Amino acid sequence: MPEYTALAVLSVVLVLAAERWWLRTGLLREPQYWVAMGIVLAFQVPVDGWLTKLSAPIVLYDDAQTIGVRVPWDIPVEDFLFGFSMVTTALLCWVSARRREQRRAETAREGRG
Amino acid sequence: MAKGRCPCGERAQAAPSIGGVDQYQYLMLMAACLLLTLPLELVIGARVWRRPRRLLGAVAVVVAIFGVWDVVGIVRGHWTYSERYTTGVLLPFEMPLEELVFFVVIPICGLLTYEAVGTLWGRLLAWRRPASSSEEAR
Repeated sequence: MPEYTALAVLSVVLVLAAERWWLRTGLLREPQYWVAMGIVLAFQVPVDGWLTKLSAPIVLYDDAQTIGVRVPWDIPVEDFLFGFSMVTTALLCWVSARRREQRRAETAREGRG
Repeated sequence: MAKGRCPCGERAQAAPSIGGVDQYQYLMLMAACLLLTLPLELVIGARVWRRPRRLLGAVAVVVAIFGVWDVVGIVRGHWTYSERYTTGVLLPFEMPLEELVFFVVIPICGLLTYEAVGTLWGRLLAWRRPASSSEEAR
């Protein structure tokens, strides 16, 4: 498997594993998460499309490191896995921090009560 | 034979337009992403920018993990960056400044989207059953 492809798949596996066995935030069961990811995906197409368009690329890929499927436009499909992992990582950190803050607030309240 | 490696001879093609806006194209795209998502905070009330500590924590993790991946990609030759459309400012490990900006901006856009969806979702539910008690806990 080409290296970028392998790393992209691995990143998704690691993010899912981190949520399943370590963070356990329940984020991936929220409809809110999937709706948001759908919107993010819709905006990734024009932004990433602009970055990777072969007519005037800002980011240039070595074809040997990808499976070579570039769609829509010229976006390497691996980028969608990269984007999923990156945004999901940010969201997992965000909701984990929210949970920590809520717990802290609860213990503070109990301590006072 | 080693023509490709010799920078002499032929004139450098696609010379970066010095002083032009082209070299800011990547940065301008990122600025557009920030501007476009700002109403999610200011109009819909996503409350992401207004939680700077939580935001900083999430962004720092992304920068650390995906910054390393980016450098691996650069070192292993998975990707390179256009000299024409970037500023040429390089961070440690040859990472273009623009990539760091990308790893900051895109997660912020994702967080704003998630929070905006949550806010609108909550409002929709409250609107559909206004009678059901006073649960304003969020």
